[in-house]
Amino acid sequence: MTRLDPSLVSERVRLDGHRKKALETGRNRLLVTGVMFMIAFAAISVRLVDLTIFGPGGDPLVAYAATDRKAIAGRADIVDRNGILLATSLPTASLYADPADVMDAEAAAVQLASVLPELNPTEILVKLKSKARFVWLKRNLTPKQQYAVNRLGIPGLAFRRSEQRVYPNGREAAHILGLTDIDGNGIAGVEKYFASVLRRGDEALQLSIDLRIQTMLRQELSAAMLEFKAIGAAGVVLDVETGETIALVSLPDFNPNIPETMGGVSGFNRATKGVYEMGSTFKLFTTAMALDSDTVTLEDGYDASEPIRIARYTISDYHGKNRWLSVPEILVYSSNIGTARMAMDMGTQTQQKYLDRFGLLNQAAIELPEVGQPQYPSRWGDISTMTISYGHGISVSPLQLAGATASLVNGGIRRPVSLLKARSMKPTEGHRVLTEHTSEMMRGLMRLVVTRGTGSKAAAPGYQVGGKTGTAEKQVGGRYQEKALISSFIGAFPINRPRYVALALLDEPKGNEKTFNYATGGWVAAPVVKRLVARMGPLLGLAPSDTEVPSGIDMEGRRPRLASFGGGEIKVATP
Amino acid sequence: MARGFSNHTNFSIGQRLWQVHWLFVLVLVLTASVGFLMLYFAANGNFDPWASRQMIRFAVGIVVMLVVALTNIRFWLRYAYVLYSATLALLGAVELGGTIGMGAQRWIDIGFINLQPSELMKVALVLALARYFHGGNIEDIGHPTFLIAPLLMVLSPVVLVLRQPDLGTALMLLIGSGAIFFVAGVRIWKFALLLVLALGSAPVGWQFLREYQKNRVITFLNPEMDPLGSGYHIIQSKIAFGSGGIFGKGFLQGSQSHLNFLPEKQTDFIFTMLAEEWGLLGGLGLLTLYVLILAYGFSISLSCRNHFGRLVGMGVTTTFFLYVFINIAMVMGLIPVVGVPLPLISYGGTAMMTLLFGFGLLMAVHIHREESIGRGGGEGDF
Repeated sequence: MTRLDPSLVSERVRLDGHRKKALETGRNRLLVTGVMFMIAFAAISVRLVDLTIFGPGGDPLVAYAATDRKAIAGRADIVDRNGILLATSLPTASLYADPADVMDAEAAAVQLASVLPELNPTEILVKLKSKARFVWLKRNLTPKQQYAVNRLGIPGLAFRRSEQRVYPNGREAAHILGLTDIDGNGIAGVEKYFASVLRRGDEALQLSIDLRIQTMLRQELSAAMLEFKAIGAAGVVLDVETGETIALVSLPDFNPNIPETMGGVSGFNRATKGVYEMGSTFKLFTTAMALDSDTVTLEDGYDASEPIRIARYTISDYHGKNRWLSVPEILVYSSNIGTARMAMDMGTQTQQKYLDRFGLLNQAAIELPEVGQPQYPSRWGDISTMTISYGHGISVSPLQLAGATASLVNGGIRRPVSLLKARSMKPTEGHRVLTEHTSEMMRGLMRLVVTRGTGSKAAAPGYQVGGKTGTAEKQVGGRYQEKALISSFIGAFPINRPRYVALALLDEPKGNEKTFNYATGGWVAAPVVKRLVARMGPLLGLAPSDTEVPSGIDMEGRRPRLASFGGGEIKVATP
Repeated sequence: MARGFSNHTNFSIGQRLWQVHWLFVLVLVLTASVGFLMLYFAANGNFDPWASRQMIRFAVGIVVMLVVALTNIRFWLRYAYVLYSATLALLGAVELGGTIGMGAQRWIDIGFINLQPSELMKVALVLALARYFHGGNIEDIGHPTFLIAPLLMVLSPVVLVLRQPDLGTALMLLIGSGAIFFVAGVRIWKFALLLVLALGSAPVGWQFLREYQKNRVITFLNPEMDPLGSGYHIIQSKIAFGSGGIFGKGFLQGSQSHLNFLPEKQTDFIFTMLAEEWGLLGGLGLLTLYVLILAYGFSISLSCRNHFGRLVGMGVTTTFFLYVFINIAMVMGLIPVVGVPLPLISYGGTAMMTLLFGFGLLMAVHIHREESIGRGGGEGDF
């Protein structure tokens, strides 16, 4: 019998081949095992050196990802002309689920609702039990919320990197900026118009808007709207040298951070999309074109003692003087009769030519999707010529009115109106619509409206404002409503060398005790421009001055014109 | 000295204490102290919750180790099968009604302690196999039928452990047993045959893996494929190694570990934290301590004059080696993620008890290295 126990080796005299072999095998194999251990240890040592010295190292990957803002936030910022942030994108996480991976939908719904109280557990449960492989549970979580959801450790939930559009100034420039939908697509305003530019995301989009003046305009319009119980308001401030839009307000507005506030009239941009019969502010254009086409001179005048009766219409004056009026008087007292007679002298073709030059017959070329189409009669006869001369029978947007006024006062150059900041401070290119002399006369006349006429409430102390009031009855269902007015004031300042035009327009204002129940442009809109000018003048570095620069216009005139009407028949005297 | 008592087994307790390899105990204490320090820093400089409990466990474990070391080696031979059978029964009990922890059934609650039979099995299997092969001779080993019983002894716990499912322990049992088979003298071609069979059945076995185990293997092959899911551990772990560099970032400075980028830093991934804070030098230092322990185990096996002691020594040493190798290779991305702790360092009681019990056996082997043991465990029973 062979024994293999090594301990017996010393006691056995006879060592047979088998036992020897067994002992050697055991010893050799132990050594082989030891060598294998050594090789394995050498391998992990080499790996250790490799990882510690040549490994990836550095700070955690996740931290890198979080600091690389550019890589996450895709959509470009929007800033105002001074670089103030108007719209930006914040990286967020959006929570979704793959219902097939959610093991216990009931428990998951309850747990989710506990950390995201705004979610309804029943709705979540329906989503988690759906057959779809992808359901959104909540968009744009805050980092804290994301952490809380992660801590729940519910399988089947995951986050998708997303971004949230944020408008730090809320409502201030709502109608300009517009907003994006939940997927980051622009659906209104600049966000929509410049959608592809913004999506490229290289650099911020700089607008011509000055947020400070935008805020002032909005405050003043809101105050007036409240005071006169108007249903809406619009305001525009333009730089007459560059065509830049400095401020543009439409009320009511919305908070682009809360898309639900955009419903109904709140989403309607009255300043660019709304078109209104502007009323007497149009007399500026009629007077300018009559002067520029040499139809009249400042010394001429018209008989405004009798209303004009033509077909079924009667044209009468609101502030009737019942006498002959000089051309300056017609504008200053806002005489419909005088203006209509002036238009008839000038003729329909001349009127159309000039209105077209002023850009009042075509859509405004502003960088917004919300642009209104002006309305005017397709058959433009004598009656239309007369009514259009004082701003009835034609509807234009407030922005168009402001743009046309800018070319009246800036020396007669029409410049494209823009929402983008101009590249240089120099006046932009434009084309001439009036002679410099006409423009100069218009500035004098507009100043007279404020110093002597219907626009006296626009007189801001220290800043020579010129302008024109406008009051139009709103047409509802083809009939003019006496109580529903569009009251406006368009002003330019400083009038001797205007830099800005400012328009304030109130939709259906109601007069109150302070205005002796008047709700006309001179009573409700002119004060808005006055307060705005008083606030923005110092801000823009315009030194206040009470020195009146004489325009040399003699308001009384000297040479009454001999145009007469009789028996319902229009006889237009030619010069 | 020992030669003189070669057939006498009844040393006095004092004599046996003298025989204890105290230098080896010192190395163990040193290694465990590294663990205490790591756990202290893992808790941001607190003894609670990990370091204090780990120290208590180690103290208890050292006592257990010394008791085992001083027990006559014949006792362990005699009761090897009993211990094995009891442990196998416990494993079966876990399969039937174990407490569910961490998604895998591995604990059995016996009132005062949560017992992990799969850990205990690592030592019990070594004892049982050592006893079996001790009772055979080289001709027996040559007969394939002789290998049926030990193969069953290995495969029954492996199957149970796999069902829990615990891939790491199953692998350790298989490889550890393989080493005992190898040292016992099983022919190389039989290993080769087994390996071919195993590889051939791998595609079939793949079907039986749990989804998360499949993911781990796939992730091992390409961790960057799923950086936030299964690959997260390994990517974060590799970054930690890289940021450690040669000298490390210093105590409490490891951003990966202390900012919780690294999961399980106090258990399976503790070596990563060590490498991040102590650098390459710290990692190599710990490896040196492990090599010392292995060298002691190896020399004890080599110098033992009885077959049982040699096989037990080799089995314990191999088990310890597998702990170290699998854990470190895993955290460095050399092998897939399997749940194996770093011995004497990772927080956890069962693995430490198993190891210290094993080291106790190793020391008993050392103390009784000159004795001859009969097949049945009797004194000179041949």
